[in-house]
Amino acid sequence: MRRRVPQLVCGLFGLLIFTLHFLTSDQAHRTYRLILDDYYQIVFAFALLVGVVSFIRVNLKAVERGKDRPYRIVSLLGLLLMPVLAMGWGIGGDSPFLWVFDNVQVPMQATVFALLAFYVASASFRGFRARSLPATVLLLSALLTLLSRSDLGGFMAEYITPVADWVRYNPSMSARRAILIGIGLGSLTTSLRVILGIERTWLGGGK
Amino acid sequence: MKQLQQRHYVFIGLALVVIVTMLLPYRPEIVPSAETRRMHEYIDSLPEGSVLLISFDHEASSLPEIKPLALALLRHAFSKRLKLIGIALLPEGTGVGYGLMREAAREYDMSYGEDFVYLGFRPQYVAAILSMGESIPETFPEDYLGQAYDQLPMLNGIENYDDLACVISVADGSLTTHWVEYGHARYRVKVSAFVAASMVTTYDPYLASGQIYAMVSGLRGAAEYEKLIGIGGSGARGMLAQTSMHLYVILMIIIGNLIYFRQKQRGRG
Repeated sequence: MRRRVPQLVCGLFGLLIFTLHFLTSDQAHRTYRLILDDYYQIVFAFALLVGVVSFIRVNLKAVERGKDRPYRIVSLLGLLLMPVLAMGWGIGGDSPFLWVFDNVQVPMQATVFALLAFYVASASFRGFRARSLPATVLLLSALLTLLSRSDLGGFMAEYITPVADWVRYNPSMSARRAILIGIGLGSLTTSLRVILGIERTWLGGGK
Repeated sequence: MKQLQQRHYVFIGLALVVIVTMLLPYRPEIVPSAETRRMHEYIDSLPEGSVLLISFDHEASSLPEIKPLALALLRHAFSKRLKLIGIALLPEGTGVGYGLMREAAREYDMSYGEDFVYLGFRPQYVAAILSMGESIPETFPEDYLGQAYDQLPMLNGIENYDDLACVISVADGSLTTHWVEYGHARYRVKVSAFVAASMVTTYDPYLASGQIYAMVSGLRGAAEYEKLIGIGGSGARGMLAQTSMHLYVILMIIIGNLIYFRQKQRGRG
């Protein structure tokens, strides 16, 4: 029963959304809007609630155990602080909420993301080797792309950008198209399996 | 003190290269690409008062690349007296988008509610894109600041995508794909994109098929767009640092390979 009901709800709504996609009557549009504007958002709110409760529980347990305590406390304080700031002083232009977002969250995330550049440099030094023919082709393509996205003015040979563009618009795009078609077909079959109840792993709990 | 390893020297070298080039007063001469020119010509061709929906579909982490792109677009649109509606389909884009729109609007003396509005964040991006195709006021009954949709004069008569000239997704990930798959495919809204350089190959097939009308990408795209609108910004400023970093990575690849082949030769010997 615990698995049958969610499976039934999923199958019914899957079929409903699929059918509504092709119907053009006013009633069909109203139902579609109701599902998108209300039902989806209610489900999202509950999912968010589950996420927040789970985050608090996991971090409180870790604080008790003394594992990474300072980091966990900062995470929990952040989770509490932002809603308090938003509800207390709003989220407008000069609000403390936006100040914290602009001056704490944005620089922190940009810093972490920027670290990638260092790993890329280090990895290119240690791992990007012309060990085989495919690896050499990949390496040359990477070098061409890097050069074409740089701006060396008259120091760069004129043919580099056209050659890099050829790589981008031919082999690279062909591979990307094949991947996209594969993803599309994969999504279609997985969706059908879920709607028809053949695929049940999303329900969790083993067999 | 822990001994410095090989990779630490690579890190230090990179940091020095970026810092030094950022301090140099030299600005490289940028030649706009055909892709960037297409976007510029499109925005230029829109009649005054046309409505653009700009969706900030990115996270805060990519701001150094996204900010110059978004500001170049906003400056151009405001200078052409276009009406802008801002939204965000990722939570972190919400604060960033609002800040950028205010910054650009101040420069052109645009007033909130009449020349631009910011509707804020809507969760579940697929549902939000589909829902806006049916009704924007029902998807966003209030703007970011809590004002009712029908109280904002600029939004009078704007019901769905039919009332927009174009949707422009400012993205650092795959969200633009959803604009193509749901916004363009189902509701035939014109979709364009300002995207992080890492996403270019993802969107190339859509650009080639016309499902994305025009695309400006990466810091280089921002620098090109800045050149086309004649306003210097952080895109052009960052290009030298980006170029020097690319050259540094190329140098690392060459040195790494030289060492590799040398070791291989010794092994044979």
